[in-house]
Amino acid sequence: MNFTIDMGDVLLISPMIALFLSSLVPLTIKVLKGNAEQAPIATLTQALLGIIAAAGLLVSFGGGGNTAFNGVLAFDGITLTTGLIALAAAAGSLILMFENPATRGVQFSELVFLTLSSVLGMLILISALDLLMIFIGLEMMSLSLYIMIGMSHEQRLSKESAFKYFVLGSLASAIFLFGISFIFGSSGQTNILQLLDTTVQLVQTNRLFLFGLVLVVVGFCFKVSVAPFHAWTPDVYQGAPTPHTAFMATAVKVVSFAAFLRIIALRPLVASESLFDILQWLAVITMLVGNTAAILQNNLKRMLAYSSISHSGYLLVGLLTAGISDNGSFAASSVIFYLFAYSLMTVGAFALVSMMEKTEDHTMEVDDLAGFAKKRPALAMCFAIFMLSFAGMPPSIGFFSKFYLFNAAVGEGLIWLAVWGVLNSVISVYYYLRPVVVMYMKEGEADVSHAGHFATAFMIIVTAALTLLLGVVSGPLLAWFESSLI
Amino acid sequence: MILSTVVFLPILFALIITLWPQKSSLKPIALGFSLAHFIFSLILFQSFDPSTAQLQLVERHMWIPKFGIQYFLALDGISFWLILLTTFLAPLILLASWKSIEEKVRGFLVCFFVLQTAMLGSFLAFDAILFYIFWELSLIPMYFIVGIWGGSRRIYATVKFFIYTMAGSVLMLVAIIYMMYLTQQAFGQMSSSLLDFYKLNIPFIGNEFFSMQTLLFFAFALAFAIKVPLFPLHTWLPDAHVEAPTPGSVVLAGVMLKMGTFCYIRWVLPLFPEASEYWSWIFVLLGVIGIIYGALVAMVQPDIKKLVAYSSVSHMGYIIIGLFAMNHQGLQGGLYQMLNHGISTGALFILIGMIYERTHSREISQYGGLASVLPNFTIFFFIITLSSIAVPLTNGFVGEFLILLGVYKYSPWSAGFAATGVVLGAAYMLWMFKRVFYGEKGPLVADEKHPLMDLNLREVFVLVPFVVMVFWMGIFPNTFLKFSEASVDYLVKNKSSYQLTVKGEQ
Repeated sequence: MNFTIDMGDVLLISPMIALFLSSLVPLTIKVLKGNAEQAPIATLTQALLGIIAAAGLLVSFGGGGNTAFNGVLAFDGITLTTGLIALAAAAGSLILMFENPATRGVQFSELVFLTLSSVLGMLILISALDLLMIFIGLEMMSLSLYIMIGMSHEQRLSKESAFKYFVLGSLASAIFLFGISFIFGSSGQTNILQLLDTTVQLVQTNRLFLFGLVLVVVGFCFKVSVAPFHAWTPDVYQGAPTPHTAFMATAVKVVSFAAFLRIIALRPLVASESLFDILQWLAVITMLVGNTAAILQNNLKRMLAYSSISHSGYLLVGLLTAGISDNGSFAASSVIFYLFAYSLMTVGAFALVSMMEKTEDHTMEVDDLAGFAKKRPALAMCFAIFMLSFAGMPPSIGFFSKFYLFNAAVGEGLIWLAVWGVLNSVISVYYYLRPVVVMYMKEGEADVSHAGHFATAFMIIVTAALTLLLGVVSGPLLAWFESSLI
Repeated sequence: MILSTVVFLPILFALIITLWPQKSSLKPIALGFSLAHFIFSLILFQSFDPSTAQLQLVERHMWIPKFGIQYFLALDGISFWLILLTTFLAPLILLASWKSIEEKVRGFLVCFFVLQTAMLGSFLAFDAILFYIFWELSLIPMYFIVGIWGGSRRIYATVKFFIYTMAGSVLMLVAIIYMMYLTQQAFGQMSSSLLDFYKLNIPFIGNEFFSMQTLLFFAFALAFAIKVPLFPLHTWLPDAHVEAPTPGSVVLAGVMLKMGTFCYIRWVLPLFPEASEYWSWIFVLLGVIGIIYGALVAMVQPDIKKLVAYSSVSHMGYIIIGLFAMNHQGLQGGLYQMLNHGISTGALFILIGMIYERTHSREISQYGGLASVLPNFTIFFFIITLSSIAVPLTNGFVGEFLILLGVYKYSPWSAGFAATGVVLGAAYMLWMFKRVFYGEKGPLVADEKHPLMDLNLREVFVLVPFVVMVFWMGIFPNTFLKFSEASVDYLVKNKSSYQLTVKGEQ
């Protein structure tokens, strides 16, 4: 085997290098200053510059379909598009961390370091073409997250949620690794490119290979919280500081789905009808569980957590479509468009929740929003836009993302999944309207934070405007996703 | 550009109102805007040629090429009057709500104008996705209007309204997507243009529910039946009407319900001709049940507004049976009755709003002897009541007569049962009129401390246009019918091969 590393490889992974180096900057400064924290705004600026540099390098060198290090890392359309979405989501979450009471202040440089390491893991995860590299990316991303959640100033819930997340996350990783070992044992390979030619045949003939593949799929179902592997999500999402919840609900979900997409692109669903059947039922169950459970929630973050579970269900429909279609690029691009739209709305919605928290121990109930529309009309309108967009009301981006997803599904003959999807969006309207009802139609004093939160407010308004406008001009965006995937 | 201007002018108004600095002048400004909009929409008289069934004033631009989704607006004889009804009602509604909306005026006006755009857009859209966007968009402002400015059970009513309507329309979305794939199979390029949908030959197997055309037919028909609302899907309507503020009720009854019936003519009948014919008995049956049921339930309502809401269920039943009779008289009558219902029920809700502003009660038993106290109000109320029960020389008569004529051709029995609704309608309206305006003075009317004031000039200005329309439409129906004549004629003659062409092309 040839172990030389040429310049091309280095250029390809330059976004990762940039992220790694910039993650060290705040830490180094802290050490040089004798363990004294620099101004948080400086730390934030350094981190955001790092992210912008990584995004710039990703756009200039990634996306060409090249592979690095003997086909271990791929820089194709999936890497480029989901990478950019994840970087943007991470930047948004960092802005929230800067102003949220549970994360600001002391140890901010450590937090930034961990966030950027987690993003680095994400970039590895989405570009990995080797099952073991996927595992490394997954672990790097998750381990940083466990610590980030545990570091919160809030004492009780966040510790519990960090621990829960750690235990269940490790279990998922173990299942995943176990699956890889079966795949390796039965096929002698862990590289996706090489498995591409043999998977269909192996799934049909080799039970052990199928077993391994199912375990890998289960591991991903844990990560993207597909029912019945979703139970950790509400607790972790509620307990974690809101910026981290936003980070998990967007960036982590996006990259996990991207890697899941690579596994699905091996086309095991074509080969094994029972795997396809199970996954389509899981999609239906996930949508139903997420939406019905969300109706019962009073805690805003918990409600958003269940809503995030239901969105995993919709995304799984898209993933199934991509898995069986001959021309996967439309279905895959509809999934990525959905991830993009979902991240945009989710970051915005959590930003609002984060902004309203007064202290680190304060968790928002839906009823706390009463009278909010009177107090902050612009922000209340933004929140209403997010909620209606989540529910898929036109002309927001939420409608178009669902339209593309279900359009792809109908095109592959999965009409009944599309019917389940739209019926579920009717159920979801009920709980998405609840905050709107409380904000606009109930009297109250909206007992929320009075701190400035200028960056967060700015971000909310920008994301709301994008949610509203990008829907109308979504055609070119989808076309760009699709062209970069070919 | 005329149609785009008609559709999007209200959005522009909404933006200006959002940014308007002075709170006190919002209402006059909005009234001025809506009047200007109405006057602008009168241009349509000049540019519309009623002698052809072809599409006119077409605006067509590719929007999302991959799916063949277009920005496609066009006018024909079927939508012509509904556009004018919408723009005609707007200034009257704003003037009528001068006193009833006191809080959050800015928000109300923004919602109102966005709603105008959504309704006008769904009447004019000839692209399925564009139509769906307008159709769903109309829910959001209405949801806020009922939910913020409504009565005590407003939240229940508005959430029910929203979810009920959305539940119907999402299946339509799946049907639209499916039909887009059918166009891809048939013409090689995906398209969501209604003209391409008309060209499709969707296989129909009678007797079998799970066949393609029948399923698509029901996916569309269900969405519209909920909006109409057709018995037994009407339960959201009384709640929404009773809780909505006066302007909300007027828009809902006057225009929004017509979106449902209009779409039967625009979408369901021409797209699924065999299925519509085969399953028409269900709709005629439910329509007749709705007529009689709505009338009977209206009779026992203690609340005037609820009474009028149930009378809406009854009147909309007429429109449905007229449409599904699928002959010339039935369709013309159905279209005419849409306008009538907009005028007469809209006016009734405005009148109820006026009396509610004075007494803050809608209980029929609290009134009585109102005629001696408010003579002018009584005259107006009486004229509108006559229109609502379809007395000859009023607009209601023309519509119901044409519908019954059409239905008689379809099935004499249905026409017979539907005709009992006319009698019942007269019964509940006149009985209500008697209890409210004659007899012993009720506690609210006799209250010496709060003498009731008769109509002021503003209210007379609101009501006079309605009365003029009632008699105009009742005495000279041809002024109105001739605009839809060509389109309806074309639809009846080409039921099974309905295709529209754009005027000026070919």
